[in-house]
Amino acid sequence: MSAKKNKTAVQAVPKKPLGERIKKDIKKNYLLYIMLIPGLLVLVLFKFGPVGAMVIAFQKFSAFKGISGSPWVGLDQFRRIVKDPYMLKLVKNTVILAVLSVVVVFPVPIIFSLFLNEVRNRRIRSTVQSASFLPYFISSAVMVSILYTLVSPSYGLVNKIIEFFGGKSIFFMAEPGWFRPLYIILQIWQTFGYSTVIYIAAMMAIDTEQYEAADMDGANRWQKMWYITLPSISSSVIVMLIISIGNIFSVDLDRILLMYNSSVYETADVIQSYVYRIAFDSAGFPDYSYGTAVNMLKSVIAFILVIIANKLAAKYSETRLF
Amino acid sequence: MMKHKKKIDLFEIINDTILILIAVICVYPFLYEVFIAISDGRYLAAGQVTFFPKGTNLEVFKYVLNNPKLNITLGMRNSFLYTLFGTIVGVVTTYITAYALSRPQVKSRFLIMGLFTLTWVFEAGLIPTYIILSKLGYVDNPLVMIIPGAINTQYLIICKTYLEGLPYELEDAAMVDGANQFQVLTNVYLPISKSILATIGTFYAVGIWNQYLTPQIYLKKSEYKVIQQILRTLVLSSSTDGETMQTININGFALNQYNMKAAAIVIAMAPIILVYPFVQKYFKSGILIGSVKG
Repeated sequence: MSAKKNKTAVQAVPKKPLGERIKKDIKKNYLLYIMLIPGLLVLVLFKFGPVGAMVIAFQKFSAFKGISGSPWVGLDQFRRIVKDPYMLKLVKNTVILAVLSVVVVFPVPIIFSLFLNEVRNRRIRSTVQSASFLPYFISSAVMVSILYTLVSPSYGLVNKIIEFFGGKSIFFMAEPGWFRPLYIILQIWQTFGYSTVIYIAAMMAIDTEQYEAADMDGANRWQKMWYITLPSISSSVIVMLIISIGNIFSVDLDRILLMYNSSVYETADVIQSYVYRIAFDSAGFPDYSYGTAVNMLKSVIAFILVIIANKLAAKYSETRLF
Repeated sequence: MMKHKKKIDLFEIINDTILILIAVICVYPFLYEVFIAISDGRYLAAGQVTFFPKGTNLEVFKYVLNNPKLNITLGMRNSFLYTLFGTIVGVVTTYITAYALSRPQVKSRFLIMGLFTLTWVFEAGLIPTYIILSKLGYVDNPLVMIIPGAINTQYLIICKTYLEGLPYELEDAAMVDGANQFQVLTNVYLPISKSILATIGTFYAVGIWNQYLTPQIYLKKSEYKVIQQILRTLVLSSSTDGETMQTININGFALNQYNMKAAAIVIAMAPIILVYPFVQKYFKSGILIGSVKG
């Protein structure tokens, strides 16, 4: 009896053609689709529009003629990139900054979190964490301005300290050799509190019974940190590492543009800052097509890296990035 | 046993001290700017100010705010307005979109979400974006700070994840009572979304307030400039020092360009630092919900 009923129920809903089903769906849920309109406008105009405009990498784009009127040149812009001797320096600078931010910046919040986790006094703990997290919310313009005054050769604190110890005052912002260290120091200062939030949250989730069992076995503090705390946050660490490797080409352009000047281009000029200068900071006509071609190569490589990173993150932990 | 206990205490004392020291180092540079701003300019010029202020006076803040040549008040006003309206538009658009995309009735939701994610991971870059936005009339148009960034894909994901976590029965019950989709959104889901709205709201606000690149590219007219651009002109480019920041004397104190630069930095960071203690819990929860692409 019941089987028969089921059968008639299935027969009662024959599949209608797709167009009709969509029409019915929209009619029934039209308010939801109205809600989607602003989001779709943003998606089409501001997210897909620019991706579409990337076709100018295959043109000799002129702002007067527009995308439709500009001549197509195939892969000419990309051939120019290969022949451009400056490109090698840009790629080198970009990769060095990226590698430094993984190798030098990445371990800092892990070590910091491990020791912060040992603090028993709650007030000290939360105050220290708040203080370390604050710089993350301060703009690059303010951070670089502060750096600028701190290292000022005329009155800055850093040079005062150097002079106190008998050294000679250094004009940090004009020395190519100092650009990378200063960039990395700013990056640590600005971002380590952010990662600390994630690691500390992972440490809070560790079962206290593990520590109690270790106490019974007579484990000391270092053994507990090394054998319980650190392994327990390893999946967070792996995900964060994969993210930072996936983002290896996303330098902080604001910070670079605010920090650099022509005397430190040798170490400070990266792909993104070069593209910015081509388009928005050059005398004469900006070479939009060439800048777009350079950036497109970077975007494609970055895209592949992020996709691989996402796959790896899904493999090594339950987390997916998107 | 006693010895063992003492050892632990020693570790904790050293550990606590070092961590507090690190916290001080993180925050001290912000205080340093305050100290430079309020020090007597004569000591600054003589290089006699080190860790703490010398010959304090607060006149410098009044002076730089009231000096129209420095444009600080204008920049602050613009930044406030862009941040206020940008945050409202961003939160409303993101929330409504996230809501619609979290409803299982919307069959195209995976496709639309996929497209958002795709354009998020694959960055078009500055130049193609500029070509499109200039075509749409956003050059020297303050709306560039409000409309194009109305949906940040990361915050959209955070918001959608939150809404999907709420029980679907809420909607069913309201629909049985005869509510339409709009009423379900405003009467059922909105009241229980306050924390997520506060989270993405603070993220949008800080993001807009801190922007430098977008206004630098699109807002060239001086009357539209934001405080971050003004700061760059005042502090980082040395060409204008002589004309706009001449040393003056107020009540026996000297105010020179060092005081004024530091005061400009303090004013630009003040809003964020003042609201930080009240909103940091939202920042933390936002990071933990959506610890995704940096």
